[in-house]
Amino acid sequence: MSRRLGLLLTFAVCAVPARAATPVIEIEIRDHLFLPSEVRVPAGQKIKLVVYNRDPTPEEFESYELNREKVVMGSSKAVIFIGPLKPGEYPFFGEFNPKTAQGIVIAE
Amino acid sequence: MLLTSVIFVLREVLEAALLLSLLLSLSKRLSIVSSWAFIAIVTGILGAAVYGFNIDIVSEWFEGVGQEVVNAALQMAIYVLLCIVAILAMRRHQDRPISENVLAVVMAISVALAIVREGSEVMIYLSGFLQARDLLVPVLAGSAIGAGIGVSAGAVFYYSLLSLKRRAAVIVGGLLLSLVAAGMAAQVAQLLIQADWLPSQYPVWDSSWLVEENSVSGQLLYALIGYESTPTPLHLIVHLSSFVIIIFLAMAAGRSGTASLENAHA
Repeated sequence: MSRRLGLLLTFAVCAVPARAATPVIEIEIRDHLFLPSEVRVPAGQKIKLVVYNRDPTPEEFESYELNREKVVMGSSKAVIFIGPLKPGEYPFFGEFNPKTAQGIVIAE
Repeated sequence: MLLTSVIFVLREVLEAALLLSLLLSLSKRLSIVSSWAFIAIVTGILGAAVYGFNIDIVSEWFEGVGQEVVNAALQMAIYVLLCIVAILAMRRHQDRPISENVLAVVMAISVALAIVREGSEVMIYLSGFLQARDLLVPVLAGSAIGAGIGVSAGAVFYYSLLSLKRRAAVIVGGLLLSLVAAGMAAQVAQLLIQADWLPSQYPVWDSSWLVEENSVSGQLLYALIGYESTPTPLHLIVHLSSFVIIIFLAMAAGRSGTASLENAHA
């Protein structure tokens, strides 16, 4: 039991610096548009995406290429972890307003 | 706006509709009273409304990944319930005594949870248009059309399953149940990776050149087998092992049945 706990603690300690190094990218939603609509991120790394919805209405961040889907309520924010990504372009969109809410993640 | 809501609602309804049709056809085959389906739909829609209107609170949980964790818990619960359905259905198929009520309740809860999961997103989507009066009518019309197409697809699926001969129905129905269940379990992995509770990895392959996820076939495959064009190793392991586990459970339930029947004859 104590050995298992020790192992768990080792994992926990190892996990902390890795977590702290995760780059954070912030995106805003305003008038059903993503700002910026193009974000550049380092390839081969996990990224923490924070999406701030400045509209009063809900939106759903969705990307088939990134394999992500998450509701972002009006006037709130959502945290979405993405990557590691190979260099390339990964489109995303707002599922509730797909005609205007379009964006792209460029991993390089 | 109309077309957007047709597609959005159809996508959400399809998965729950296919699960409902599959379980309804199973229940019909096994002569279980199908009134559980009505109760499941009503409680599911109520649950979806409660969950949808509290999503902002849920989102705050677990340092901002509450949505993923709660959805993963819902999906996991559906998988476990479908495993129980597989075991009980197999026993029933072999004319062994099972509690019909238990099977009906387990089916009902799994469908209700699937409706909560998918329906909550529809509730959130619609809530965004409550203030926009000029858009509300086309959005509601589009949603109704989308839901209608989803339910029709479910009906086609239901009657196709019922048209099969008994032997084919056991194999096809059992296989579909296992595939749908494994797809649910795979979503657990997917959601927990998104929440950073499970490690993120590079995808093993990219089959989007073959079937794109946002195509019609991609959506159907997603609803049926949890199709993912860029699965990570962990995602694949969970998907495959949950498929093997439910098949194993059903076969084990079937084998023990055959053994006890042989004993009875001896």
